[in-house]
Amino acid sequence: MQQIRRFFTKKTFVFSIVLFILVILVNFAMQYANLGLDKFEKRFMFLLDNNIRGFIPLILLAIAQAIVLINGSIDLSIGNLMGVVAAFLVTQYSKDDSIARFLQVFVMAIGIGVLAGALNGIFVSLVRIPPFITTYATSFVFSGIAMWILPRPGGNMPEIATTFYRTMLPLGLPMGMWIILIIMLLWLVFRNTRFGAHMYAIGGNEKAAFTSGVSVIRHRMSVHMIAGFLAAFAALALVLITGSSDPRIGATMTLDSVVAVVLGGTPMSGGIGGVVGPIFGVLTLGFVRNIVGFANVDTWVQPLVDALIILVALASPSLIRLILKQARK
Amino acid sequence: MAQNLTSNDIVKHFAGVTALSSGCLTANSGEVVALIGANGSGKSTLCKIITGVVAPDEGQLLLNGTPISFSTPVEAIKSGIAAVYQDLSLIPSLSIAQNIWLTREPMSGIFIKYRTQRKRTQELLDLFADTMRTSLTPDTLVNELPPDEQQIVEILKAVSTNPRIMILDEATSSLDSRQVDRLFTLIGEWKKQDKAIIFISHRMVEVFRIADRITVLRNGKTVGDFDAKKVKEKDLINLMVENAKEHLEKTGTSIFKKLRETVLKVTNLRTQRLQGIDFEVKKGELLGIAGLQGQGQSDILHSIFGSIQFSGTIELDGRDHQFKHTSQSMAKDIALVPGDRAKEGLLMRLSILENLMLPSWRKYGLPLNTGKAKKDAAKTSQSLKIIMADLNMPVSSLSGGNAQKVVIGKWLQRNPRILLLNDPTKGVDVGTKAEFYDLLKDLCKNGTTILFYSSDDEELVGLCDRVLVIRDGMIRKEIPRSKLTLSSLITASVTSSEETAHATD
Repeated sequence: MQQIRRFFTKKTFVFSIVLFILVILVNFAMQYANLGLDKFEKRFMFLLDNNIRGFIPLILLAIAQAIVLINGSIDLSIGNLMGVVAAFLVTQYSKDDSIARFLQVFVMAIGIGVLAGALNGIFVSLVRIPPFITTYATSFVFSGIAMWILPRPGGNMPEIATTFYRTMLPLGLPMGMWIILIIMLLWLVFRNTRFGAHMYAIGGNEKAAFTSGVSVIRHRMSVHMIAGFLAAFAALALVLITGSSDPRIGATMTLDSVVAVVLGGTPMSGGIGGVVGPIFGVLTLGFVRNIVGFANVDTWVQPLVDALIILVALASPSLIRLILKQARK
Repeated sequence: MAQNLTSNDIVKHFAGVTALSSGCLTANSGEVVALIGANGSGKSTLCKIITGVVAPDEGQLLLNGTPISFSTPVEAIKSGIAAVYQDLSLIPSLSIAQNIWLTREPMSGIFIKYRTQRKRTQELLDLFADTMRTSLTPDTLVNELPPDEQQIVEILKAVSTNPRIMILDEATSSLDSRQVDRLFTLIGEWKKQDKAIIFISHRMVEVFRIADRITVLRNGKTVGDFDAKKVKEKDLINLMVENAKEHLEKTGTSIFKKLRETVLKVTNLRTQRLQGIDFEVKKGELLGIAGLQGQGQSDILHSIFGSIQFSGTIELDGRDHQFKHTSQSMAKDIALVPGDRAKEGLLMRLSILENLMLPSWRKYGLPLNTGKAKKDAAKTSQSLKIIMADLNMPVSSLSGGNAQKVVIGKWLQRNPRILLLNDPTKGVDVGTKAEFYDLLKDLCKNGTTILFYSSDDEELVGLCDRVLVIRDGMIRKEIPRSKLTLSSLITASVTSSEETAHATD
């Protein structure tokens, strides 16, 4: 019993994987029921590809959020930060831009993301305003900037890039899967650096980390900048799918990113977690919404069902722990 | 290289309170110097100044003759001074290895060499082999360790910096005897390696076992420095308490004691800190709980109040009660006045009225009879002589002493039968203390039973009918009123065995 308990408390992403498998089975069962066997078989890869590619922006945001949360901070501006970068991208690009021009603008976009993250970082770590307040305030700043850049939905994307992103199946596997694979590899590297190790230390006990000589201010500042960096990539992934942007597009994604992280088993208290959980958290969240979409329920019921499933999913780990605790007595 | 650390006349004030007025301490290579003193004599403050955790207000710190001042503990570590602190500085969610090597991880390029880190941690853990659980590995998380093993990790963390001067601040307080033996063997080896060791402990036996020299602090002042072989335990204790005035008049409530029945009986009480406590309290008795800080005294009070988990039996009027929630004990007219008033006792931004009424609103019906509540609150505040502008002012506008009166007042509203006091006079001015003592006496006369834990030994001597001295989670001595003096109390708190405690009676 002790071992099961330790397994669940230590490997926090286990629960999200179980839930994920359940959800993915239901999702494809419903798509299968809707399409019939023939069509489903033919279009399986297409469906998988489309599904996962759609989740990539939120996956990137959730990873950004996970890093910030592990560090003991929070970023409530991440969605709108992404909105700013997305607005910048679609207003700078035109339909027939070259690859070189595409990359040039994107490098600038990364700069904007990192700069915006640094703004959060300065207030959180140097001025020591609670991150919850700071990033809530900057989220409105970013939202304003996005509307200033892109007053109404629209904009352009280079067709070279969008076609590439939408149709490529490297080695026959969906593009989204490759991106997830690359993210996981990079995480493995990051996790084994001193910076990565100190991230957990600060989130675990800020005061003890400081006494041990970790430069907390500089570190937390960097973490917020990394979050901005990742948000820029999220913006790119988003506009590559849609081909245009909406200044308000990021608003709902902030809380989704927090939900995905918690769904993936990373607590909001900091010090533990990783990116595997959040990735599965986003996939679960996305497939749940797919299922609700396929279920042919009234439109007004959708958010309700959606929210209920999320609530149950969020409560389950605590419930399991509670049951295990009772069982031990 | 021979090391010599000297601190001269260090002065440190904390918000108007003088923690150190003349702290002098010398540590030499190949020598163990023990720093001893009663509660609040400034031992920990002196250590924190040496290691750069707090900055001194005045005085000089010399390392090998050169003045030094550290603004962070890291600078001290770089100069070869490492400390093991009382309050643990570990990160619970990280592994033993990660904690020990934090910021000093073995690196290969940008990557941490986890295998090397693990190996080095294992080598350190081997120093304490056979005194810890066998299942312990470098990857075990710190939050899975019991307090003694956490303490050992803390010691190993200091050892891993390979210091030339090592400070052990109460490092043995949570270790068992085998672990202490092992630590002392290691200290012996460090001495041979020409390290200087500053050893702080409340256990006299340990001090005499390990120390070469003993420095005594009293009220923030260094009052003596002795060769450990040439000084007697009794003389040291006298020096620790000398001139301490027993100025509190002894006016007890003892005359009532014989007539009353037992209200509370505690048998084999165990918590994380307590190792089996048995005692009885009679109606109207004022029972003191004494001992050095952090020996588990608060746990006794919290167990009775039902605010922590415990095992053992607590009988109230002869009937077994296991309170799982404070509302149950409150229903039985038990009240607990917490020590940390800002954290546990008051809602700082709410009004005095609301604070006073918080546990008693139930009495005032629906809708609340605020007129009556106001009248009652006014009565309480008058009887407690709370100095305030208005009942509707926030508690944060009150001085420390007055704020503490509100904490007590809010429980007096409920007319408790048993009052549990958890170091209630900390940071309270002398005048308020005197009023507070009168109040306790009155309550006892009216039949209220009081359990009084205090870190101020003088007030226990002045007030209590009986005092239980707690050390390492056990009752080491029960001192009746007739034998209660400041020196008997301190002797029982610091001496390490029953025998010596009796000898110095």
